[in-house]
Amino acid sequence: MSVSSRIRMQFVRSVAPAAEGAASDASSTAKLGSHNTGVADSGRWSTRRIAMYALFVALAMVTSFIEFPITPVTWLKYDPSGIVCLIAGFAYGPSAAVIVSVLGFVPHMFADPWGSLMAVLVALCLSVPASLIYRKVRSRKGAALGILAGAVLAIVAALLGNLVVTPIYAHMSYAAVAAMILPILLPFNVAKMAIHAVVTFLIYKPISNLLAKQQ
Amino acid sequence: MPANRSHSPAIAAELNHIRFSYDHGASWALDDVSLTIRAGERVCLVGPNGSGKSTLARLIAGLTAPDAGDITLLDHHVVADVTPNADEYRAARRGIGVVFQNPEDQLLTTVLEDDVAFGPENLGLDRTVIATRIRQSLDAVDMSSVRRADPTRMSGGQQQRAAIAGMLAMNPAMLVLDEPTAMLDETARAEVMRVLDALQQRGTTIVHVTHHPNETRHADRVIHMESGHIAEDASGQATAQCPETGVLTPPPAADDSSTPLPVLSNSSTPQNNAPIIRVSHLTYRYADGERPVIDDLSFSIQPGETVALMGTNGSGKSTLARLLCALARPESGTIEAAGIPVVRPKPAHRKQIAQLRRRVGYVMQHPEQQLFAETVAEDVAYGPRNQGLSDADVQQRVREALALLHIEHLADRSPFDLSGGQQRLAAIAGVVACRPDVLVMDEPTASLDVQAKARIHELLHTLKERGVTMLIITHDRAEAESLADRVVRMPSPSEAQSSPSIQRDAAPQSKTDHRSPVHQLDPRVKMVGFLAAMFTMFAVNTPAQLATGIAFTLAVMMAGRLNPIRLLATIHPILALMAVMSLCNLVVVRTGTPLFTWGPLSVTDDGVTIAVLYTCRFALVIILGAIFLTTTTPTAITDAFEALLHPFGRFGLHTQEIALVMSLALRFIPTLTDETRSIIDAQAARGGSIETGSLSQRIKAMSAIIVPVFAGTLRHADNLSLALDARCYEEGIVRTHWRVFAPSARDAVFAVTVIAYIVAIVVL
Repeated sequence: MSVSSRIRMQFVRSVAPAAEGAASDASSTAKLGSHNTGVADSGRWSTRRIAMYALFVALAMVTSFIEFPITPVTWLKYDPSGIVCLIAGFAYGPSAAVIVSVLGFVPHMFADPWGSLMAVLVALCLSVPASLIYRKVRSRKGAALGILAGAVLAIVAALLGNLVVTPIYAHMSYAAVAAMILPILLPFNVAKMAIHAVVTFLIYKPISNLLAKQQ
Repeated sequence: MPANRSHSPAIAAELNHIRFSYDHGASWALDDVSLTIRAGERVCLVGPNGSGKSTLARLIAGLTAPDAGDITLLDHHVVADVTPNADEYRAARRGIGVVFQNPEDQLLTTVLEDDVAFGPENLGLDRTVIATRIRQSLDAVDMSSVRRADPTRMSGGQQQRAAIAGMLAMNPAMLVLDEPTAMLDETARAEVMRVLDALQQRGTTIVHVTHHPNETRHADRVIHMESGHIAEDASGQATAQCPETGVLTPPPAADDSSTPLPVLSNSSTPQNNAPIIRVSHLTYRYADGERPVIDDLSFSIQPGETVALMGTNGSGKSTLARLLCALARPESGTIEAAGIPVVRPKPAHRKQIAQLRRRVGYVMQHPEQQLFAETVAEDVAYGPRNQGLSDADVQQRVREALALLHIEHLADRSPFDLSGGQQRLAAIAGVVACRPDVLVMDEPTASLDVQAKARIHELLHTLKERGVTMLIITHDRAEAESLADRVVRMPSPSEAQSSPSIQRDAAPQSKTDHRSPVHQLDPRVKMVGFLAAMFTMFAVNTPAQLATGIAFTLAVMMAGRLNPIRLLATIHPILALMAVMSLCNLVVVRTGTPLFTWGPLSVTDDGVTIAVLYTCRFALVIILGAIFLTTTTPTAITDAFEALLHPFGRFGLHTQEIALVMSLALRFIPTLTDETRSIIDAQAARGGSIETGSLSQRIKAMSAIIVPVFAGTLRHADNLSLALDARCYEEGIVRTHWRVFAPSARDAVFAVTVIAYIVAIVVL
């Protein structure tokens, strides 16, 4: 960090109403080191917050295009965007998780309308419960619990979503799609969530260090 | 543009007894600083990193408040007796423009004139006023001819001028610039300095933080900062060569106009025995480039030789570095490095690549962006570990590399806690620890302060003594000459890559009449219409409906004057997926007359009908989507998005903010994509691979990419939030809009067509 970026961070720390729920000791040291001009934090949506959301949404968009198969069934593809939604939720709370999960898939709307709606649903089911739980239990354990709960919900959502969406794309009855759940859909979704969970968990510490420096 | 300037006080900024601390008073970044800047003055703030000059600039810009003292900016008493006054700050900031170091992070949209309009929109100015402001400020930075071009694809110098234009459009009485040229090459720096000279002539107050000695030349005053104090405050001429601090001593031949450099070629190569790098007839072009950026290049480098490579931005230097390290594949030609055929005539296979990674080190531009581990030592160990060395050997390599850069004391610190200079040293240590025989470095000392630069120069001397062959890309002629055995320049490409492409982009758009009717549709009508048509396409179930759908899609494509083949080319990966799905449909359907059977599989006539139907309707959806995306600019998409969100504002949704988030996200996609790619390259050059190795190695390789990508994301967000502040954006402000939509007859025709199509689908 150069001096200028330290200044930036300090400044940012002072204007950002530190991510929801994490602003406890700010008031005690309000006088010294606040450096607040009182302009940028006039509402909940500080410029800092807008910038953070924007970059996380951009990252979710970028990663949602990095797709590769993880099971022998090649038309089901893994993309790491769920990790970005999870981290956004952990760092900035459930509302950030919602914004990143929804806006992150807008570019797909014009290539795969139904599929993108489903992707939004799955991302929401994963990241929102995870961030809600983590907000209550702010520890590694809380993060693990959150990811687990989110992953279970997301798998359920993905399976239900497949039941609805697959017949639109392929001429299949609901029964035919349901028959695919055990051999194909479930293993894929479990594998996908497992990768999300492991990677998020591994990068959790360095990333939270990074975030801590900014809040 | 001195016309109707809102503030013209005699004193632009007055700071009294300012103190500023980053650690709640444990140490003072600024300690009792008093300073008065008169209107129309051009003031340079200089001093080593950590001296407080950037902090001071930010206080003058009204972006942050001090811990003690009293500040008046443009006659607004913003800090009276330590208490900041938000209203005064708000008023003062409207008269202050700020330009930051990183050109790209200050650009908010993908159309130059929209970007310039963003500030005036926040000030709530009238459309006609905004139009004048755009024209005047683009004229001032000499960019009127490219007003419709995409600033994110311009050169650094142009981007920085665009950022200045964005500030001028807000008609500032004072302009504060924080190292605006730190990331620019010589030519681009000159461009920016010319603009500053012109502004000085017009009487704009300029506060300029710099550590380039020759940039203080035209200053009225040079204020020298030293550990939180003003060490010297003198007239521009007097301090231009102030020797005692040693920081500002200009290199004797700072100007690049001395002797022309030889071009990198075979003739510039000493023709001795066995070269360690041999390149012949190398040609490379970017995916979208018309002319090759590297054209039939041949040269070689002797073992132990240090070659400095110079050249303008866009001349292909960085590309050459990536080619040498097997991070990109040339169009033709051969490369051999350290005896390993990188390309010849087929690309190297996996084993050769692994060998190459051991022997050829690569320091990318801004290598600090690749740091990822929890400690510096861990980060440095990444490369050696990927070479499969034993733990003891790895530790030995780490110690040695840290010692070479004199950063042993940082071994257990988090790389993210370090200063910019220290991060650079740690990142370079990570490459040196791989003990390469050949080291390719892309601007290793760019935007570093004097001390950090000196460390790197010392390292390069040591490596040279050890016989390491080095290719160093640099913009600094003095540095090149002091380090290298041979200073060469890149053969000039067909003039800098960026300018022709900008002209090309600008040309068709400037003549608005020539855009197709589909391009000219009101984006709101267009977005709703396309989405409605796309979703109803899934209801297509009979041949008649399909025919309607095809007719509709073709009609839209023709109205958009799009080349169907080029359009299909953009969506070919999805087409491949559809082929698989249609096969699946073929086999799954069991009803109807069997046409033929093959083992357990049978294909029926119903199956064929359904396969064709499903494939076609899905293809039409994708084609419609592609038509929408190719005929609508990201800005227009965001505008439509905001307009459509607008009704939800009544339910407390922050529609203006969400739309802004969306547009900024679209704007930053290319930035993040490029950065991710360069981090993947840099880690690959250290032997990290996601595709091979044990599971834990792969996961490690993945986090070595993901963590720096997140770090970069946060860094951009920091810069961006300041850029938004500088443009006076605030939540909930009443903004005006430079571009207004007025649905026309054309939009009505389109809406009727879409409705007719939907009705047809329902009826048929």
